[in-house]
Amino acid sequence: MLLFTLPALIVYAVFKLFPAISGIYYSMTNWNGLNKGFDMVGLDNFKEILSDKYYWQSILFTLKYVLVMIIVANLIALLLAVTIESRKRAKGLFRTVFFMPNMISMIIGGYMWMFIFTKVLYYMADNWGMTFFDKSWIGDPKYAFIAIIIVASWGSVGYLMIFYMAALQGVPMNLKEAASLDGANAWQTFRHVVLPLIQNGVTICVFWTLNAGFQVFDVVYALTGGGPGRATQTAAINIYEEAFRGNVRYGYATAKSTVLFVIVMLFTAIQLRLMKRKEQEL
Amino acid sequence: MLVQILIYVLLGAAALFCLFPLLMALMNSFKTNRELLTNVMSFPTSLSIDNYLRTFDKMNYLRSLGNTVFLAAGGVCLIVLFSAMAGWKICRTKTRLSSFLFGLFVFSMLIPFSSIMIPLFRVVLFLHIKNSLVGLVFVYAGLGVSMAIFLYHGFVKSIPYELEESAIIDGCSSIQVFFYIIFPMLKPITAAVCITNALWIWNDFLLPLIVISDNKKYTLLLSTNTLFGQYSNDWTAILSSLILAAIPVIIFYAFLQKQILHGIADGAVKG
Repeated sequence: MLLFTLPALIVYAVFKLFPAISGIYYSMTNWNGLNKGFDMVGLDNFKEILSDKYYWQSILFTLKYVLVMIIVANLIALLLAVTIESRKRAKGLFRTVFFMPNMISMIIGGYMWMFIFTKVLYYMADNWGMTFFDKSWIGDPKYAFIAIIIVASWGSVGYLMIFYMAALQGVPMNLKEAASLDGANAWQTFRHVVLPLIQNGVTICVFWTLNAGFQVFDVVYALTGGGPGRATQTAAINIYEEAFRGNVRYGYATAKSTVLFVIVMLFTAIQLRLMKRKEQEL
Repeated sequence: MLVQILIYVLLGAAALFCLFPLLMALMNSFKTNRELLTNVMSFPTSLSIDNYLRTFDKMNYLRSLGNTVFLAAGGVCLIVLFSAMAGWKICRTKTRLSSFLFGLFVFSMLIPFSSIMIPLFRVVLFLHIKNSLVGLVFVYAGLGVSMAIFLYHGFVKSIPYELEESAIIDGCSSIQVFFYIIFPMLKPITAAVCITNALWIWNDFLLPLIVISDNKKYTLLLSTNTLFGQYSNDWTAILSSLILAAIPVIIFYAFLQKQILHGIADGAVKG
């Protein structure tokens, strides 16, 4: 038993479990990158967090991002999955193309989109009369948020679509046929026959979006870097900057990350509870 | 009929949207800067690879690529080996310890990376593996095993125990049972574990950003990121480097898309 589990247990304990536990300890210290030693400061860091405007702003921004992504990305993914699944031709081709952005890192994808937002859209506005593109996509917080959602959806919809397609393939054909024989239209069939049967898939996808959303870093880092100012800073970027840029306040940043962990746990628990109840109802 | 055609048109538009950034980057990466600034939507007048030659050196392309391949391959090997062994043994042992271990591994899947990155950075400093690619491979293993153990554990449950039993009666040691009987049977789930973890490590940015500061050890993403910082307005240089950084995964996808899509779906359904 030990021989087989030990290698996994060691790397896991050293690089995941220990950091997770020692994080609680470090969040109560004034450890930083400048001084050699550090002292216990009790709950001072957490007190400071309570009045840290930028931190809560980043948490709020992250929550907004998570919420919008759960709705937007999942709706588009489900729509694409249903549409492709019912095609006779070119099913594989569309699946391949829609999944493609997921292969590419959001750092690379984000920079490519940066080119679109800062060069291509202006060209279209100036030369093709598409004046609604003439916005400060990266520089204005309102549009920067939309830009981030567009790019993040571009990069994750294909992944969710694969989950939904797998779930849809589990829906027996004869049930759908029976429903349409009984006079249900396409929407009614979907709403009352298909959707209840893929509820499990929906739970997985929402869970995934929620978890990935709370950790969002790459796409925002590449597109806006958290700016303008700190308007699009996510929790992960806020923590990263606190620890590895400027102040190098590791202890304080660890306290922030502990708070983030508690928040993520809370929302995950709520989400799973809600969706489990929904599954049982259906 | 009309509706059918409309659906295909809409799907086509969505597909074009997916490929749009890639196509724009590709098209403009062959231009000179002046050409790009006059018209971003035109085809390049000549297929000059000057930009590519320029960024190929600047990114230390081959070395960055090699580093990334090393990380992904090394990380995947360790994760597969460690998790297959652990997942199998934990599933087959019915003791309180084994269910405790399973719970321990599974619980941590919920811990977000940003919550542990700073203490993890301290562990890395303590072990003197900052800027060490070999060290980073082990960090990836540590972060990746819990999910993989969960998948292997679920898969082993579906394998009949009789096979192992008869092998043990025939005098096989546990190690032989694992490598000759169990591991080959785990192939479908191993494929899923390989693909999801290879993609994750390949596209991971934050961990190398924290742990690697020596530019000889840079991954493709770190090199691209640095170049982006240096050439903030030289779009032809940036776009060609983005294409160079994206090419390996696109080739990988072109050859293995069936396996990749299956692997992603398998990992999902069982997860």
